[in-house]
Amino acid sequence: MAVLAEVAVEEGAVVVAADHMVMPKDCFGLGWRPQLALGILSNLDRIDLVEVIADDFFTAPRSDRRALKTLAAQVPVTLHGVSLGLASSVKVDRDRLDRTARLYEEIKPLSWSEHLAFVRGGGIEIGHLAAPPRCDETIEGTLKNLALAHTIVGVAPQVENVATLIDPPLSRYDEASWVVEIIRNSQSNLLLDLHNLHANALNFGFDPIDFISRMPAGRVRGIHLAGGRWVGKGNVRRVLDDHLHDVPDPVYALLEEIGARTEPGLTVILERDGHFPSIDSLLDQLDHARQALAQGRARRTIASRGEEAA
Amino acid sequence: MNPFDFHGPEFLLFYVGLSALVLIGVVMLRRKYESGPIPRIDLSDPLLIAFLRGGHSEAMRVAAVSLIDRGLLLCAGTRLETASLTRSESVRRPIEKALLEKFVVSGEAASMFDDSRLKSTLNQYEQTLKKVRLLPDESITLGRTVIFGTAFLILTGVGLSKLYLALARGRPNVCFLIILVIVAIVFAAKQSFPRLTETGKVVLEGVKNLYSELRARASFLKPGGETIEPMMLAAVYGVGALRGDGFAYTQTLFPRATKAPMNSSSCGSSCGSSCGSSCGGGCGGGCGGCGG
Repeated sequence: MAVLAEVAVEEGAVVVAADHMVMPKDCFGLGWRPQLALGILSNLDRIDLVEVIADDFFTAPRSDRRALKTLAAQVPVTLHGVSLGLASSVKVDRDRLDRTARLYEEIKPLSWSEHLAFVRGGGIEIGHLAAPPRCDETIEGTLKNLALAHTIVGVAPQVENVATLIDPPLSRYDEASWVVEIIRNSQSNLLLDLHNLHANALNFGFDPIDFISRMPAGRVRGIHLAGGRWVGKGNVRRVLDDHLHDVPDPVYALLEEIGARTEPGLTVILERDGHFPSIDSLLDQLDHARQALAQGRARRTIASRGEEAA
Repeated sequence: MNPFDFHGPEFLLFYVGLSALVLIGVVMLRRKYESGPIPRIDLSDPLLIAFLRGGHSEAMRVAAVSLIDRGLLLCAGTRLETASLTRSESVRRPIEKALLEKFVVSGEAASMFDDSRLKSTLNQYEQTLKKVRLLPDESITLGRTVIFGTAFLILTGVGLSKLYLALARGRPNVCFLIILVIVAIVFAAKQSFPRLTETGKVVLEGVKNLYSELRARASFLKPGGETIEPMMLAAVYGVGALRGDGFAYTQTLFPRATKAPMNSSSCGSSCGSSCGSSCGGGCGGGCGGCGG
């Protein structure tokens, strides 16, 4: 009988069978928040990994970093950055990259990720993950920044699509084309935030399924799930990705679509930043995500069998 | 310059310096010997964490508070008694069963700390923590003994040699030297044999940090056994961390434990607390949503 051993690899977990056949496995986890500590640590049988905000530890005292190492010894960890501002024609801050590299070395996470956003310009920190103009200049700048990040940290970051309330001015590409250009011309895989996609699709009237179909399926390695709310009035209503609400049903439908188009081995993270419900509610949402992805996988299997039969 | 030719105060100064160097060496060697990878343990088990923090007594206190909180054990002043309709089979942890059985007849809460049967129910925690080297196992204890033995030989060897020379030279005023040697050896013993290993210290500090948000919410935790949060708070920071009228009985029941200052090493900090969100530094209002 094959003895299975779970091992962590650079991006996502895999199950290694004794006969050396590697079978990737989808992993499901939560964004680590101190308010959820007891809930997460009490339910590690239902949580495969946690995602930690890397920036919180760049200048953290030794006790915080020890806590993170203690956490990483209990459950696989991925690091998620929010302040590099990679998607910019401005060169990424070398000091922040060095700190990311040191943290990566210390914690040895499964993977690390950043947003396709800019967070500063002209020496001003805007305190927000802003969508840059989708043009050749930002593609070129992003690719340079990603290459530098890869060089310094040693591992290419996964890059996440961001939600935006305004269509970035001066854009010459639509969002899907812009993201695909970056993914295809870099070593980075895509961390696809399905609520960001859902929000942008509603805010700017495009088909999220079409967006998914245009992504290189083999390069989608991570998924973010979250909730948001409608803001504004009349014709200027927008979906705000606030991470304060439950995952809406259309996002699960998008996850099913992802399941139907990608290979197993995804990491799926549920993000919640406030208005915390009970841990049971969050675990139920994770279970819902498992079901949705499994349904997508089943569709894929049926389709491929159909093709084989034909 | 032979230090054994130094006069009284000069030699005492020399010996203080030597003792300091030996103590630093003891600490560094022990840390190096005991440091290792952080193990995976059940961080959701309050009794395991309480045992890590304070041994048998702390685990017993947390277990007792948990039973009181659930109404299974009644508390009157400093005395405990099992609630009339409670059966020890209704709880699953051995220490809880043993506590309910012990206090079928009302008794002083403090009596539980000397009860060998109660202590034996906690052996599993001690074994678990020794196995993952958060408490010193046999090999660590042996290493510590070797380190202490070396320090002891240096400190007593130098001290006794000077003592012998002083007496041989007709200088009987050696009281300060004797006191200094004893003090140095006591310090060396304390530094050689702490309760936790170096890794144990790191893990305990990490656990306190991970659960720091519980401490921030201590005043809002409700009694009644509805959630495990009060028990975990008591496990990580001690029963003194429990706040509010619902837990006022702990101050009478365990006066020493509740008056002891809580370890404040992680006060004001928490793992990931500086933002705790992926909002790109826009924690809260004005960030226009997360977008991330």
